[in-house]
Amino acid sequence: MWKKVVLNFLILIGVLVISNYVYTKWFFEDDLKKNSDIIQIVRELPKETEIVYVAESSNITYRMDDLDKRKISEFIGDYYPGIQVSDLTKAASHAGIYKVLLEQIPKESKVKIVIITLNLRSFNAQWIYSNLETALQKSVVLLKNNPPLVNRFLLSFKAYDIKTDKERQAQIISYWKSAKFKTQHLPYKNVIEWDRFMAQKGILDSSGRYDTILTPLACSYIKTYAFELDTLSNIRIKDFDKIIKLAKQRGWNLVFNLLPENLEQADRLVGKELVQMIERNAEILKKYYSNKGVVVVDNLHLVKDDQFIDRDFPTEHYAEQGRKAIAEQVSKSLKCWYGSYYKTPIYTTIPKTTLLNTCENSEIWNQRQTITTEKSYSGTKSSLYYGENPYCITLEYPIGRVSDSLKNKLTISFWYLQNSDSEASLIIESIKFNQYHLTNQYSITNSNSKKGIWEFYSTTIELGDSMKNADVLKIFLYNPTGEKKYVDDFYVNFQ
Amino acid sequence: MLFNTIEFALFLPIVLILYFSIPHRWRWCILLAASYYFYMCWKVEYIFLILFSTLIDYFMAIQIEKNPNKKWKFLLLLVSLVTNFGLLFYFKYYNFVSTSLNELFAYIKMDTEIPMMKLLLPVGISFYTFQTLSYTIDVFFGKQKAEKHLGYFALYVTYFPQLVAGPIERFSTLTPQLKEKHTFTYENLKKGFQMILYGLFIKMVIADNLSGFVDQIYNNPTQYGSKDLITGIFLYSFQIYSDFFGYSTIAIGSSILFGVHLMDNFKTPYLAKNIAEFWQRWHISLSTWFRDYVYFPMGGNKVAKGRWFLNIMVVFVASGIWHGANWTFLIWGFLYGLIYILEKLFNDLFHIHNKWKPFTIGHLLLALKTFVLVTLIWIFFRSQSFHDAMVMFQSIFSNNSSPKASLIIPAFVWIFLGLFILSDFLFYNKRFDIQVNKMPFWGRWVVYAVLIFSIIVFSGVDNFPFIYFQF
Repeated sequence: MWKKVVLNFLILIGVLVISNYVYTKWFFEDDLKKNSDIIQIVRELPKETEIVYVAESSNITYRMDDLDKRKISEFIGDYYPGIQVSDLTKAASHAGIYKVLLEQIPKESKVKIVIITLNLRSFNAQWIYSNLETALQKSVVLLKNNPPLVNRFLLSFKAYDIKTDKERQAQIISYWKSAKFKTQHLPYKNVIEWDRFMAQKGILDSSGRYDTILTPLACSYIKTYAFELDTLSNIRIKDFDKIIKLAKQRGWNLVFNLLPENLEQADRLVGKELVQMIERNAEILKKYYSNKGVVVVDNLHLVKDDQFIDRDFPTEHYAEQGRKAIAEQVSKSLKCWYGSYYKTPIYTTIPKTTLLNTCENSEIWNQRQTITTEKSYSGTKSSLYYGENPYCITLEYPIGRVSDSLKNKLTISFWYLQNSDSEASLIIESIKFNQYHLTNQYSITNSNSKKGIWEFYSTTIELGDSMKNADVLKIFLYNPTGEKKYVDDFYVNFQ
Repeated sequence: MLFNTIEFALFLPIVLILYFSIPHRWRWCILLAASYYFYMCWKVEYIFLILFSTLIDYFMAIQIEKNPNKKWKFLLLLVSLVTNFGLLFYFKYYNFVSTSLNELFAYIKMDTEIPMMKLLLPVGISFYTFQTLSYTIDVFFGKQKAEKHLGYFALYVTYFPQLVAGPIERFSTLTPQLKEKHTFTYENLKKGFQMILYGLFIKMVIADNLSGFVDQIYNNPTQYGSKDLITGIFLYSFQIYSDFFGYSTIAIGSSILFGVHLMDNFKTPYLAKNIAEFWQRWHISLSTWFRDYVYFPMGGNKVAKGRWFLNIMVVFVASGIWHGANWTFLIWGFLYGLIYILEKLFNDLFHIHNKWKPFTIGHLLLALKTFVLVTLIWIFFRSQSFHDAMVMFQSIFSNNSSPKASLIIPAFVWIFLGLFILSDFLFYNKRFDIQVNKMPFWGRWVVYAVLIFSIIVFSGVDNFPFIYFQF
């Protein structure tokens, strides 16, 4: 019997070896694109990159009325015009994912400095046990240091931290129950008690009534920031430690960018106890990593409340001035390596009046996920909008900052492609923050429109009062049908 | 712990090695401990439910056997039934009944509200409850002797390969095998490996790759055109079949490794000529359970026609409710009962026989008719509510000319589905292991290699638990 077992086992090994070859040669690349698209982020790093900025959504999120919607990493690049600064940005990610991304950087790369966002929230239970974690962990399975077939086996057999939303929630609650406040004298034993107290007491509005918007927001602040960082047990600390080890192996200099938190809001909604807790945690991180030889840029207090974009949940999403301030601080910390290259950039405060999006991914317009290589009028890409993605690339223009003399007429033109009579519309939304949100709709097709070939559309629109007085104009095409439609070379000019 | 996870891939060989490395008289301990561990991987606390159910039925059965008084026997059986059904009702049906009654109260403007409970359905409760009940009922009717060995009885209730989704085994077939002294044989290793491999293939490559598309359709039926919706419901027929058939096949394969043979739960059901035959081929362990413990005690078909219709309806509606606490399952069962009776009447009226030889035109046309009916009835099974099912039917027939979304299914999914359908024809009335063992050694290895490669490379990567785990 054992002879047969051994023979079969040997054949099995042979089958697996051949399978690994076949998989690696013909299937692995497609699988990477499908299941581990974050590898693309690393692959797209320019070869000349010397400084890599690794971050979550704080790097890329902008506010609609920002004049300059670029990333923090691009602003850092402005300070070092002679140096290639690139970024590895993956929304909702954290040190555990950063480590896998950094491991993918080729050993022969020119990278010398790695800047990583040190996001305080990523150390809390809500983020550690976030329901986004399953997808994140899944996205890195194929990138592990194993033969490709082994990684695919691990992916197929769900060998990663896979939990349902309910299980994740249970983990958070269980952590909150067990993590008792030790260092700070508070009338609450743990975050659950504090949160319950806030929910019951509530925040009262000017007429003394329970504020149903601010109270949940205050509770969110408590659940987000009310934790005492333990460097021995916190999983994120361990992840960052691994990054430090990796950086040593690869000879990289590490800079940790301690991200600003909205302390004004925390103080206003919850009180100084929470602010002190945040500051203490930040201090722990600073000391811990400074002692390990990492340059820690403390930006905790840097950004004022009005520069935080999200108003209904604590996030690290900053408007233009906030992003620029962070970039400036981080850039200054790089002087010790690149002092001679440092140059203070000069930024314009006047918005452009002529805008062109060629869909080649260089312009920062919204709905960039619609850009496709399926068809193009010029270059290699266009914007595909239909069905569940009914909006094409969208211009968000801060018209509130344009002088009145340039607010008379608007010329819009683009090339579009469609195969049926179903109509797409040109939409102009006029947004005046906290006041109005108006929509104007224009038909772009007529009976003469040709199907299946690129057609040119151009129109000039007289700006009405609602458009002139708006803070932001959003301009895009809308196609709610399941019929594929494409647009390219989207041009907008204010006269 | 799911069969298609790395945890199970480690768990099964460890248990197997331990099982065969200790003397026979202690082996039940290994299997019982493994079974409890396997179950506790879902939720530790729910082990107490199984323990409670086990103890009740163990002691009740002994007392039923001991007691000569028929009334007392019946009373003891009642204790077992009430306890088991009570637990099942509480965890599975309480909230459904409360919601339904609350809706009724609201409709008749009665100011009463039954409180809801925050309950998580213990995995496999319907399966092990029915398994253990069959034992007590058999003891009551004198068909089965009461088991005196608590360990073996507990193992009968919790035997891990079939604990959470069947097949629902009878005490008389499973326990003697568990007690038997097995030796580790190459034959069992080979057959177990073959069945596990095939089960993993149909679960991971077929069912899991179809799940995402079926979910797309059922989550937003109004967004799609009729063609996509029909494709979606067609795919669901194969998703649920391959999902449950895959599970049962892995269960059978895992059990063979220990020398224990479980009953077949599926026999190419979509080639059934009518609904009656479909239920002789689909989830066989459940349909035979209902036949033996509900249908026959009610008189089966040896009663007046009207009563027979009632018997049929009771069995199918009960089968529907067994699946889930929702009106959709009840309707699903009702429709099967109705069609079963209509088919019978139609065949009697027009003297249509169903004795077509396999794969003749008559057989294939009838099988197609049965498949279409089953596919349409699955809509109630899959929909979250009666309203959702109606929306699905309306959307299919509304001929949406400008759908907002379209279903794009990669070629490899169609290829594998085609292979699976083809294998159903090839394995008609036969099991995979029997068919593959007719092949020469190298031929078998070609099949293994294709299956191994497909399982690793083409498996669906999203987490889709076995559908029947929710029951």
